[in-house]
Amino acid sequence: MKDVFKRFFFGKREKYWWMNVLVPLVSILLAFIVGAIFIKITGRSPVVAYKLLFGASGLFPGPYWKSHFSEMLLSSSMYIATGLGFAIAAKGGLFNIGAEGHFIVGGITAAYLGYAKPFAGLPKFIHLPLIIVGVILAGGIWGAIAGYLKAKRGIHEVITTIMLNWIALYLIEAWLVIGPMKAAVETGISGTPYISLSAKLPKILPPTRLNISIIIILAVTFLIWYLFYKTTFGYEIRTMGHTLIFGMEAPKAAGINVERKTIQTMFIAGAVAALGGAFMVLGVLFQYPPIFEGGYGFDGIAVALIGQNEPLGVVLAGILIGALRTGATTVQLAHIPKTFPSIIEGFAVGFIALQMLIRYWLMKLVRGRKKSVQTEMGGGAK
Amino acid sequence: MKALEVKDIVKQFPGVLANDSINLSVNKGEIYAIVGENGAGKSTLMKIIYGLYTPTSGEIFVFDKKVDIKTPHDAIGLKIGMVHQEFMLIPRFTVTQNIVLGDEPSKGIVFDYKKALSEVKELSKKFGLKVDPAEKVANLPVGIQQRVEILKILRRGAEILIFDEPTAVLTPEETEDLFKTLMKLKENGKTIIFISHKLKEVIAIADRIAVLRRGKLQGIVEKGKTSEVELARMVVGRDVVLKIPKAETKVRETVVSVRDLTVKSKRGIIGLKEVSFDVCAGEIVGIAGVEGNGQAELVNALIGFTRPVKGTIAFDSKELRVITPFNIRKKGMAYIPKDRKMRGLVLPFRSRENIIMGQHTLYPFSKNGVLNNIEIDKFTTKKLEEFDVRPRDIHTRARNLSGGNQQKLILAKEMSMEHKFLLASQPTRGLDIGAMEFVYHKLIEEKERGMAILLISLELSEILGLSDRILVLYNGEIVGETTPDKTNEEELGLMMLGLKKKKRVTK
Ligand SMILES: Nc1ncnc2c1ncn2[C@@H]1O[C@H](COP(=O)(O)OP(=O)(O)OP(=O)(O)O)[C@@H](O)[C@H]1O
Ligand SMILES: [Mg+2]
Repeated sequence: MKDVFKRFFFGKREKYWWMNVLVPLVSILLAFIVGAIFIKITGRSPVVAYKLLFGASGLFPGPYWKSHFSEMLLSSSMYIATGLGFAIAAKGGLFNIGAEGHFIVGGITAAYLGYAKPFAGLPKFIHLPLIIVGVILAGGIWGAIAGYLKAKRGIHEVITTIMLNWIALYLIEAWLVIGPMKAAVETGISGTPYISLSAKLPKILPPTRLNISIIIILAVTFLIWYLFYKTTFGYEIRTMGHTLIFGMEAPKAAGINVERKTIQTMFIAGAVAALGGAFMVLGVLFQYPPIFEGGYGFDGIAVALIGQNEPLGVVLAGILIGALRTGATTVQLAHIPKTFPSIIEGFAVGFIALQMLIRYWLMKLVRGRKKSVQTEMGGGAK
Repeated sequence: MKALEVKDIVKQFPGVLANDSINLSVNKGEIYAIVGENGAGKSTLMKIIYGLYTPTSGEIFVFDKKVDIKTPHDAIGLKIGMVHQEFMLIPRFTVTQNIVLGDEPSKGIVFDYKKALSEVKELSKKFGLKVDPAEKVANLPVGIQQRVEILKILRRGAEILIFDEPTAVLTPEETEDLFKTLMKLKENGKTIIFISHKLKEVIAIADRIAVLRRGKLQGIVEKGKTSEVELARMVVGRDVVLKIPKAETKVRETVVSVRDLTVKSKRGIIGLKEVSFDVCAGEIVGIAGVEGNGQAELVNALIGFTRPVKGTIAFDSKELRVITPFNIRKKGMAYIPKDRKMRGLVLPFRSRENIIMGQHTLYPFSKNGVLNNIEIDKFTTKKLEEFDVRPRDIHTRARNLSGGNQQKLILAKEMSMEHKFLLASQPTRGLDIGAMEFVYHKLIEEKERGMAILLISLELSEILGLSDRILVLYNGEIVGETTPDKTNEEELGLMMLGLKKKKRVTK
């Protein structure tokens, strides 16, 4: 039983498999150290700052923990969604910058299906799943457009996803929200109307705002992990991820339909990122506001990079970023701008980018001597 | 004087002892060959000398001085140069630009192309390596690209030149040219170390030959004191008969039939002109020809990488409108690509993951889209044994396999796939003679089982030994069709150079 369990979840490990875990951890640690140095240089106390930051992050018990904790998980679920959006595409060798667009497409779809008449009257157990399906389709299609343009027209996904982000933004903010989907003037609401009660995500930790979004996204993460490593579909995505960017053609030569897989991968990436937008609308804002405070899409890239594009890693990184953001406002008490956590996030990503170096350095540390380091790291053999 | 000496070199990879206290010494001005089975540790040893790997223990002496080579940069500083099997040239650049890259002559801060041109011209004259300094590398055949690579390391002042299987990608003519070059370099006092699986060549050119086996030095033989048979025995540890068994041919129905196929090359010019032929079940059709005479275009059209300009391809007497790798594989085509890294394997994948690529959607490897790891492992274990892939570990990543073992993995993958047509492009590239013998037997066995096989090879002995019919490609056209009993290497050679045509008996 234990064996089957191990087999199912771990497969065969490398000799230095824990390196893959240690490297991101060390990167994050380094980011905090560099952050501390910065605070120190500007003449403030890093200890106080970090105490405040983590005290209010929701990660550790303390005053108002319940509310911090729920806020942390609320935002984490969105970061995990957009992080997965990037990671799924990256596993297939695609550089998806489109999570921001998928996020707002998901948001506006959730808002519409949440207030519009034929749906709004339905019972919750029908209405809510219906909205989720709608969001998945809308986000998925938005993602698949970029996949299609890549597969059939050869246009690079970075270009198309960025363009689609802008298209989504203008469609929504310059038209839908102030036009067809605008709330009636007499209600005095700006943005779209509020969603009906049956569309709100059920709460799980009253009196806080925490809702089932975190459970949904954890389930989705498991599904994605299963898809990657246990199915033929994920197998094909991974063959592409290891070859596409290097211009290698092995998967195609083996008869894998790379074009179709590209479109499908982008569909899934878009669908998952769009869930994040739905969480925002169905669990936090309850409408689509005239101007959406975005950024979740781009933070998703950082989350995915810190999480090494692995589903479990993305969850942990998403929780970390969620926690930093939750604690952010309190660092102002130490006279530090509340954008400080983003700086830490930036450093962490920077160190992740230097991971080969960190890996090399750790390996040296581990083995005591400098012998044959580069090869064990998988330096290419003939 | 000793140019290079290695003492007690040990290289331990996780789970594999690639070099087991190897001692070698190479004299200045010597051509030194290293032979050995696939996975014997030849490339590893060379990479250690060139600073790509650090040895677990052992010492290296260059020109009698003990040295510590940590990076290729150190090696270049010690006048050691290496010509890799995959050339590291930039296709868009000219020959001159490639040769001076990284160490450009300059006027102030401006790159002095004129000076570079004349430098390259001088260099090429000095060593008798003819190249057109202004030509783009992309337009050059492999043999000339290799020459550019050699010039590049000579310009950096290399005294010791290392070649890892330089002849694996060359045609027999190009090999001859390379050997002339090597002799010339030797006259100039350069020291040459080269790895090869082709024992005949090794015996012809090397002054001394070192044989490696399973990481250990098996022995060193001097020029003229050995024979191919004896060397082969040293390499694989048993007698090898590279005689290809003659099998009875029972030709059955046509499986693939190609008509008037015209295909553009990657460069956009017509690379294959109105080619027609059939391949029937139970026969091997061999395609002979100098590399670059339409083989790549033919392969690309058959596997669905390029759409033909004109002509048709029929499979099982059904003409296929559009061919994609996806649909042609479904129809029952297996394909052994000649470029194992680009088309054969996913390098970071493990053996168990690579070997199912293409059949992963089939039972028992998966059911309803879910992979069955237990079946995959069972299958992989069996196939690694059958095709003698070393190490046997099903979890080895493809990029950590030796070149020949990568090739064996591809063979295992393609030949165990359900198919009725096998397109084999250079199937024995990089294999040791033992493995080569095995592949020949396999191909004959396939044929007897009624597969249709199209064999593309630069190796004339292979074509003559295995084929039932031979087609000769020259300049994108089939200039002759013959059978092995009605021709010989000389005649084929002439046909391949377009100097002789032979009427085609069938179409
Ligand atoms: N980076 C690596 N990591 C782990 N094992 C490796 C690595 N490189 C080589 N090996 C192993 O070391 C052994 C020797 O490999 P090497 O490439 O030196 O063989 P070779 O003699 O060049 O064989 P071939 O004729 O097939 O090219 C093989 O078993 C190979 O799997
Ligand atoms: Mg080798």
